[in-house]
Amino acid sequence: MARTSIVIVGAGIMGQGLAEAVANSGTEVTLIDKTTKLAEQGVKGISESIDREIERWGLTKSDKKAILSRIFPSSDLSETEDAEIVIEAIPEDLKLKRALFERLDKICKKDAVMITNTGTLSISEIGATTERPQKIIGMHFLNPVTKIPLVEIVKGLKTDDATFQRAVEFAELLNKKWITVHEYPGYVTTRIIVPLLNEAMHVLMEGVATAEDIDQAMKLGFGFNVGPLTLADMMGLDVVMSWMENLLEELSEHKYNPCPLLRKLVRAGHLGVKTGSGFFEYDEEGNKLEGSGLATGMAKSGA
Amino acid sequence: MKILVINCGSSSVKYQLIDTDTETALAKGMVSRIGMSASVLTHKPHDRPEVKVSGEILDHIVAIEYVVAMLLSENHGVIADRSEIEAIGHRVVHGGEKFTESVLITPELMLELRNLIDLAPLHNPHNIRGINACQKTLPGLPMVAVFDTAFHHQMPPKAYIYGLPYVMYKRYGIRRYGFHGTSHQYVAEQASQMLGKPLEELKLITCHLGNGASVAAVDGGVSVDTSMGFTPLEGLLMGTRTGDLDPAIILHIMAREELTLHEANTLLNKHSGLAGISGVSSDMREIIESAHSNHSNARLAIDAYCYRLRKYIAAYAAAMGGLDALVYTAGIGENSPDVRECSCENLEFMGIRLDKAKNNQAVGQKADISADDATVRTLVIPTNEELVIARDTKRIVEAAK
Repeated sequence: MARTSIVIVGAGIMGQGLAEAVANSGTEVTLIDKTTKLAEQGVKGISESIDREIERWGLTKSDKKAILSRIFPSSDLSETEDAEIVIEAIPEDLKLKRALFERLDKICKKDAVMITNTGTLSISEIGATTERPQKIIGMHFLNPVTKIPLVEIVKGLKTDDATFQRAVEFAELLNKKWITVHEYPGYVTTRIIVPLLNEAMHVLMEGVATAEDIDQAMKLGFGFNVGPLTLADMMGLDVVMSWMENLLEELSEHKYNPCPLLRKLVRAGHLGVKTGSGFFEYDEEGNKLEGSGLATGMAKSGA
Repeated sequence: MKILVINCGSSSVKYQLIDTDTETALAKGMVSRIGMSASVLTHKPHDRPEVKVSGEILDHIVAIEYVVAMLLSENHGVIADRSEIEAIGHRVVHGGEKFTESVLITPELMLELRNLIDLAPLHNPHNIRGINACQKTLPGLPMVAVFDTAFHHQMPPKAYIYGLPYVMYKRYGIRRYGFHGTSHQYVAEQASQMLGKPLEELKLITCHLGNGASVAAVDGGVSVDTSMGFTPLEGLLMGTRTGDLDPAIILHIMAREELTLHEANTLLNKHSGLAGISGVSSDMREIIESAHSNHSNARLAIDAYCYRLRKYIAAYAAAMGGLDALVYTAGIGENSPDVRECSCENLEFMGIRLDKAKNNQAVGQKADISADDATVRTLVIPTNEELVIARDTKRIVEAAK
């Protein structure tokens, strides 16, 4: 078993999930963010995520020690110099991603595989900022990374087969099932879930049913683990809106136009679980408060 | 022939270098706490004092490298060159129905072992990791896999079938397999020597009480029933495993706490048993200490542990229609007079009676601890799975030449 040198850039929620998944597979990983403080906050986030999993019986205290011992926080992008695999997990913004890959291209060794973790953006466009577009590949992990067993492996126009094969091996290291996606806006998961979420928001806004009932209907009626409005809250309403805007811009189709209710909530700073309020209300630990769902687009239920 | 015997656990590697000509261990030791910050390698050459080295040993490959370096070391080593090691024997937990005896490790076998991971997800991956680590550190040596399940393969269908639709057995191989076979086999043979009677004429109950624990009914040298089942989770209460459980309980908990399969599996295997009940530790010594200082759940854990063991002993005597000797082995079995005494309580009616003094004296050594007038002998026999593995390895490697 070769010890792979894996580096993750971006210690936000996705970066944390990826670092935990890599470390849990028994492999060491470096977690980089802009400042040491941010990178260390990332490790703290992982530590808290493991604590929650211990409470849910999924891990033990000795697992925690072992996992954390394999994660090295850093603020030094030059640590990607000798890496075999570099995974970008910074915010979903094409400008930021392009700027990062331009820098990585100058630091990383020639045969390193560079993975961008994006749900909607163009791999080819990100790859074009580098002199090695054949080594750039997309891997769309879904949040929470440690729990969702799927990853979309996204081939850009120039991605070569060897790079694809390395991405497959990386997916297998993390024990994920993978599907192959040929680059197209939204891939499979985002493209299909986004209109569904948007439609649920319209149904709510038009006063057809309460948020609770809409989620209940989709859970029980179609076997969803989580209802669409709760799912949107979990993903982050700002994130959902940015996906829609990306899709709208790329494909110019009306169906990707964000529901006015979504725009309204995002403008008000109600971004879902992370702010404690979205289509539902949440306590500090992110648990949904019973009966807190919106009754229509305008009022709380029971109000 | 000098044979390196490897037993890989999740966070430990136990090893012995055995000279099969003299059947003695030239050195034995263990790397523990692999993956944790303070890993320890304990190494004992047969003719010199034990040494301990601590360091950061993050995986099994590094652990095997440490072991080989120790065997070669100038001060603590027992061989001058790594070529003196002629073969490696590996303990492998699950052999399924396919492997009823030890086999030479080949690339094809490795594939089959991987297919068996579904049957023993907690153990076979570590065993496979150990084999891979040895292939990397000591390339080219013949290696043999010795299965924990093999000794139980003659169990009759009435003992191995579960009360599920029969098609589950046909479809997924769901049946009792049993584990710790090498240990049960070894102590049964030793008991026959101690009693001066051929194994074929003996009805024995062997209790392997380690971190994992199982009981076997050995009738005429054949394991006819054993407490571990489809996986090593069934049967006795263990360090962190539930042992026997109403299967509806786990469905109920999964629904109440919305647990995933993985979480439920970890709950049963790593958060339960002695550790789960006592809340103190998974280590019987620490639990006994806590019980002495009136920790009520520690006391409860010990009582539940011994009570269940006692029920199994009586049940297996019934299964065989009699009993000549009861054997205790492995960490707790060899070293805990308390557990032996408590688990034998109330068994006088079937002829089991301990001599208190002899029981208290028998710590980590062979002993007959029964009272003089007991009709069933109770024995303490230190297990030696490594020797069985070395013998099998020698036989198979020589046959392959």
